Amino acid sequence: MKVLVIGSGLGGLLSAAWLSREGHEVDVFERLPIIGGRFTNIEYKGFQLSTGALHMIPHGPTGPLGTLLKDLEADVKIVRSRPMTTIRIPTEKDAMDYTHGFQDIEFHDFRKHFSLLNRIKLAILITTTRTFPPKSGSMAHWCSKNLNQDWALKLADSFCGWALSLKAENVPATEVFEIIENMYRYSGPGIPVGGCQAVTEALINIISSHGNKIHTSTEVTQILVENNKAVGLVADGNEYRADLVISDIGHLETSRLYDTNALDTSAASYFTAIRKLRPSAGVKICLASNEPLIEHTGVLLTPYAQRINGIDEVTNVDPSLAPAGKHLIMAHQCVQWENIGRLEEEIDLGLRDLSEIFAGKEYEVLLIQSYSGEWPVNRSSSGSDLSNRTPIEGLYVVGDGAKGKGGIEVDGIALGVRTAINDILNSN
Amino acid sequence: MKIDERCVGCGQCTAFCPKNAIIVKGIARITTDCIQCKICMAYCPMKAIEESA
Ligand SMILES: Cc1cc2nc3c(=O)[nH]c(=O)nc-3n(C[C@H](O)[C@H](O)[C@H](O)COP(=O)(O)OP(=O)(O)OC[C@H]3O[C@@H](n4cnc5c(N)ncnc54)[C@H](O)[C@@H]3O)c2cc1C
Ligand code: SF4
Ligand code: SF4
Repeated sequence: MKVLVIGSGLGGLLSAAWLSREGHEVDVFERLPIIGGRFTNIEYKGFQLSTGALHMIPHGPTGPLGTLLKDLEADVKIVRSRPMTTIRIPTEKDAMDYTHGFQDIEFHDFRKHFSLLNRIKLAILITTTRTFPPKSGSMAHWCSKNLNQDWALKLADSFCGWALSLKAENVPATEVFEIIENMYRYSGPGIPVGGCQAVTEALINIISSHGNKIHTSTEVTQILVENNKAVGLVADGNEYRADLVISDIGHLETSRLYDTNALDTSAASYFTAIRKLRPSAGVKICLASNEPLIEHTGVLLTPYAQRINGIDEVTNVDPSLAPAGKHLIMAHQCVQWENIGRLEEEIDLGLRDLSEIFAGKEYEVLLIQSYSGEWPVNRSSSGSDLSNRTPIEGLYVVGDGAKGKGGIEVDGIALGVRTAINDILNSN
Repeated sequence: MKIDERCVGCGQCTAFCPKNAIIVKGIARITTDCIQCKICMAYCPMKAIEESA
């Protein structure tokens, strides 16, 4: 089979590597000069920053991505974060920020900080909601209804902000419980040695070792459709023919590459659905320091900060991500849709948070990177992903606009790719 | 060089500019250190960088 892939992001590369191993002929087209989309390294001042991700894989070596990479025999080492997460809380009871001191507690100790009554309630809720997940309503709604304690909502916001770049009020409670369920199933996060690029490079190697090609600086401008079936594409003015087209650029962007008017009315609900998808927005602040700012390889959640949701220090896993003796720290903040127009103010609040979180420490702000719209944190916010199929036969969408259910970020992408490729292999 | 409203502020251009002539904070701004080499244009995922007339 001849397959063409639009976009060399993680979804595109995973699909291309898998089909290459199955013996199919694959060409990948990438508009940019670099491969990997929002999941590869960019070097800046000697630090291995990234085009998007915080160098972290949500469920580490045993999650959906880790498992898929193993199945593809990709040569990547993913180090499990230990502890998974700590939470920074103010030392003074009733304090609402970190200005008068703070302490870090381990994630599984968070229950201690609820009142005794809420602790009992939470224990019951956690066990029962794992078996009977709430059917409707947002995570914020769930917190205020069931726990009615400020700390519950702060923690939920910080967790949803870090993991999904969304406020708890914009995430269905069912989705959060699915994620919690998956934390039990697949375990917590991990960091690839070498950063995001290690994953990208390993996949490129698989693709090229099978004689297949990734065409960089080559933009796809049209998907060729005949009798409602994808038969090829146009890239840089050249026509390529194939049995199958896989797009890694999201449903909406993909639909702009073919004539949607030619489709019959049964496709209308698909187009309504893809127009409703809301990409999540966020800001990543990259810091350099001479001393460690976080003492472990996991995530530091900061529920009492105004904007920053969580922080990781990737050099604790791989010191080569920074120049010798330096540390690389990455902080993430969710940007609510209505604040995208006021990004500079949002960033200033994030910077102020960092000066409180790391009070008394010396660090340098390396680069401030923001993401929204068509270059977002996640193309479809969690809980709203569409399937990999499109109204066009032989045209599939992968990537973070078509993640698998309950899978977050790159693990969600891996779940989606697994579904798509199994679908393709079974129907061809 | 000119940056238009499509810029999301991802900082990709900053990392590839040989003159460190792009400051980014929510949106990218090109400084007077720019030598018009155009390298940054190709790296922008939003096609937000144009040659100034
Ligand atoms: C700040 C931030 C932090 C994040 N942190 C994490 C994290 O720690 N862990 C995690 O798991 N995830 C994280 N993510 C999410 C993760 O980075 C993305 O979900 C993932 O990289 C998206 O991959 P993708 O396959 O959907 O496509 P993309 O990476 O978007 O790739 C699509 C590619 O297609 C190319 N393209 C577009 N149009 C065309 C065209 N017409 N022709 C040819 N090529 C085209 C683009 O240039 C791009 O390279 C983060 C994202 C951001 C922004
Ligand atoms: S044109 Fe060259 S010097 Fe000017 S901002 Fe772009 S990369 Fe930097
Ligand atoms: S690469 Fe493009 S979108 Fe990103 S900051 Fe530069 S101009 Fe803006």
